[in-house]
Amino acid sequence: MSFLLACPNCGERSVYEFRSGGEFRQRPPASVSSHEWARYLYLRKNEAGETTEWWYHQLGCRSWFLAVRDTRTNLVKETYEHD
Amino acid sequence: MSTTRLPPHPAHVIDHEQTLTFSFAGERIQARAGDTIASALYAAGRRTFSRSFKYHRPRGLLCGAGQCPNCLMNVDGTPSVRACTEPVRQGMRVQPQNAWPSLRYDLLSIIDRFDWLLPIGFYYKTFIRPRFFWPLAEKFLRRAAGLGEINTQAKPKGGYDHEYRYTDITVVGGGPAGLTAAHEAANLGCQVTLIDDQPKLGGHLRFQTGTYDNIGEQSGLTGFALARSLRERVTSQPNIDVLSSATVFGGYEGGLLGVMQAKRLIHLRTQRVIIATGSHEYPAVFTNNDLPGVMLGSGVRRLLHLYGVQPGTRAVVVCHDDTGWTLADELLDSGIRVAAVVDSRYRLPDAPDSVEQLQRSGVEVLTSYAIQAARGTNHVEGALVVPLDAQRNPFPHASRFIPCDLICLSTDRTPTAALVAQSGGELVYDATLGQTLPQQLPPQVFCAGDVTGIHLLPATLVQGRLAGLRAAHSLRASETSASSHIQTLQHECEALEQEYRRHYEPYPQLGHAWTSKKQFVCVCEDITHKDLAQGVAEGFDEVETLKRYSTFSMGPCQGRMCATSSARICARYAGAELATRATTARPPVTPVPLGVLAGRKHQPEKHTPLHHRHIALGAEMMLLGSWKRPYAYTTPSEEHQAVRERVGIIDVSTLGKLEVKGKDAARLLDKVYTHTFSTLRVGRIRYGVMCDDSGIIIDDGTVSRLADDHFFLTTTTGNVEFVEQWLKWWMAGTDLCAHVTNMTGGLAAMNIAGPKARQVFSQLTDTDLSSEAFSYMACRRATVAGAPALLLRIGFVGETGWEIHVPAECGEQVWDAIMAAGAGFQIIPFGVGAQRILRLEKKHVIVGQDTDALSNPLEADMEWVVKFNKDDFIGKRGLQAIQERGPRHKLVGFALRDSGMAEGGQAVVVNGQPAGRVASAAFSPTAGKCVGLAWVPVEVASGTSPFQIRINGTDAQADVIDDAFYDPQGERLRS
Repeated sequence: MSFLLACPNCGERSVYEFRSGGEFRQRPPASVSSHEWARYLYLRKNEAGETTEWWYHQLGCRSWFLAVRDTRTNLVKETYEHD
Repeated sequence: MSTTRLPPHPAHVIDHEQTLTFSFAGERIQARAGDTIASALYAAGRRTFSRSFKYHRPRGLLCGAGQCPNCLMNVDGTPSVRACTEPVRQGMRVQPQNAWPSLRYDLLSIIDRFDWLLPIGFYYKTFIRPRFFWPLAEKFLRRAAGLGEINTQAKPKGGYDHEYRYTDITVVGGGPAGLTAAHEAANLGCQVTLIDDQPKLGGHLRFQTGTYDNIGEQSGLTGFALARSLRERVTSQPNIDVLSSATVFGGYEGGLLGVMQAKRLIHLRTQRVIIATGSHEYPAVFTNNDLPGVMLGSGVRRLLHLYGVQPGTRAVVVCHDDTGWTLADELLDSGIRVAAVVDSRYRLPDAPDSVEQLQRSGVEVLTSYAIQAARGTNHVEGALVVPLDAQRNPFPHASRFIPCDLICLSTDRTPTAALVAQSGGELVYDATLGQTLPQQLPPQVFCAGDVTGIHLLPATLVQGRLAGLRAAHSLRASETSASSHIQTLQHECEALEQEYRRHYEPYPQLGHAWTSKKQFVCVCEDITHKDLAQGVAEGFDEVETLKRYSTFSMGPCQGRMCATSSARICARYAGAELATRATTARPPVTPVPLGVLAGRKHQPEKHTPLHHRHIALGAEMMLLGSWKRPYAYTTPSEEHQAVRERVGIIDVSTLGKLEVKGKDAARLLDKVYTHTFSTLRVGRIRYGVMCDDSGIIIDDGTVSRLADDHFFLTTTTGNVEFVEQWLKWWMAGTDLCAHVTNMTGGLAAMNIAGPKARQVFSQLTDTDLSSEAFSYMACRRATVAGAPALLLRIGFVGETGWEIHVPAECGEQVWDAIMAAGAGFQIIPFGVGAQRILRLEKKHVIVGQDTDALSNPLEADMEWVVKFNKDDFIGKRGLQAIQERGPRHKLVGFALRDSGMAEGGQAVVVNGQPAGRVASAAFSPTAGKCVGLAWVPVEVASGTSPFQIRINGTDAQADVIDDAFYDPQGERLRS
């Protein structure tokens, strides 16, 4: 793991400056079934391919952003702030 | 044997005038400054450098370049150092490895006679029956296995460091290709880093004394002179950084190269990489090809031209191209007799002059011949050569014996291309050149020189220029002049390559599986031709599985000497096409000491703004997480008594401190805490617990409302980074408008507590501290001893007290003022030890110590902080589910019935069965016995059934205590 990530605020940096926040998922509304809720809590897609994930620039601007990364090659296609 | 030095020559790297001495196996050896251990030993007449891994056969110098496993030695206590690249230092102590009692007479060499006991994969096949035999065999095998010995008593030597570098273009390899590439790239204005594993740039040119033609204006220069000229050109360019004696051991994602330079690990980020790592020779497979005296041609050249050592007295040169002929010339020039040149080519393409010249010097010229065997007991005594037919098959009955003491192999070479694969390129077998060559390079990777399979200097120089220009052009596209230049060079390069390929004839692959004579393929692991044939016959007919079964290429040389030969042999017996892809070459390419990876010993610790006061007071300090905190100034029990009876002060600067400000600050806190904060009045404090979405406690702390849109949060020590991220994460992508600022390092905090706290503290501030004006759980801004402060009236230790937050730079001033004001009341500072007892007596939970990754507030005795009646909050759904199923465990206070001391982690025992655990425990002077917190089954928590705590194997009776042990009504706290 030594790929580069382009922080939307700070630019391209080594991945060691960042903390991964895992796959991007929508938190379901409280009204969903227990089954749905358990899926949200415990299941991840763990895709072999392009995945949108959260990253936090811990040793930089200390903010969260989203990155589209190919988990097979670690090539980061794009990064952007969630709006 | 006598010393065999040659007269001084300008190519030599040794200083003939300056001598050094070192010890080898207890004997004094003379060396010259600039010698490697191996060259000095060779000059001193040593020929056996190690004993082989399995059969303990004598092994001599083979590559002379740090590629093969033959000269691994223990140098000053460091095992498995390559003697052929390690420079001699005065007084160093060198010991041979893997031999007992000595290199010359190794008792274990008896194994060589019993090779039938050790067939390929013997560890799956032998030593199984009789069973009683195994323990004996195991003892022996364990002792015999492995290379070198680690000194387990050795002290870490230190001096390791990490360095981070950034560059435009990295050139790996300082040979002719690398030097020209670096020069061209730097000319176009790029920042270039040139890395070479030798002490001096120049690559193989450094040990070439022949002259070169067809290389433009520098034609006619000798190799070493050309090396000097290229080197000077590069070192005079200011935008080229040269890293000598540095090895690139791995290529990683994002253009990161791992570079080792002595004890330093350099993390080099590069935009482009030019791989000019060259190639290396490896031995042909024939009988006894591992005998000392069989050397690779380049190794012979190194001895001759770098160290001025006479490699032998009568040589046979085995070759398949002109390199062998020039080597024969050079040997003759150095006064060494050449018995024969054995060339596998059927017809020599050119230079009949040199053939005649050699013949006149008494050299027998054998074309269309190959070597069949080396003869000799502990050293080469002769070569058995065999003529080849038109199909390149040998006529074994026509073989001839030529006496000699040196066999030079210029037979096969292979590109040093591991870095290509690690940088994203492919290595594909090229049938014409008989090598696996770089293909499909990613756009940021370029190759030049021998690594492309073309071992021809004019081509190398053109390739180097081309790679340098291309790499620079890809970064500086504005340099339009480069593109036409690139095209010209491209054509020139292709023409040279085609010419080279047209004349190339690989050295024939001989060797037989049926012979019992040892024909080594892998010298590291002692794998023979026969072994591999056997492996294929047993069904491991694919090179990757054969590798795992036989362990070829898994030794110290990592396949440099055997990868191509074994792939060929595998294909030959499997009757398959040669595997077109090389086996995977993962980093590290060369062994990297763990110390280099670990780097400098780092244990950063955080000091509070009051650190120096604690040291001056002689506090016993302890490391809590990354914070240094006072454990005690006197003793915890003495300090405990002072706080309960008089007044004490504790440094709590390690608390996480966050400010949350903004119009939606209250909404944010309602979302992340289980409690409600939008209803909190300004100037009031509320305790809060954070959960994750499954209802697990992740942090707790106090929340003070300083203004409608402004909150001050404290978090548990060490968790503030996480809480900051957590708050920001739940805001990201929502309409919540608030700002989170981490104030931890900016504020000093101390807690003054005890019955006399008000009397002491009122001397330092004008704020009314009476309980009517400043009640429990209130917060105020105030001036304390001249410093702006935030005062929180809370009581973790259960006494009247204030948590005082002041700017870090005012910390000492306020601390001193409090100590001075408290002198009359015998105030004392207290540490973590006393605080632990004080808070346990109040049954105050420490999140992360009393709770773990499975604890929820409903079971941790904090139901009151969970507000199910408010709108959705993080963890609501999870906590509802826990509420529905009902609690299973509870965190309860307990007291031991009798004397005895429990401690965290001990088992709670119910009906003789472990059913829970102690979270924290301490001796309470107030209760006069051991009290604490424990996780117990819910039926025990109700206090109806008894439970025990297992202390060192004995069960001690304990009782659930519902109320706090001290001041259960909180009267002292509020007073």
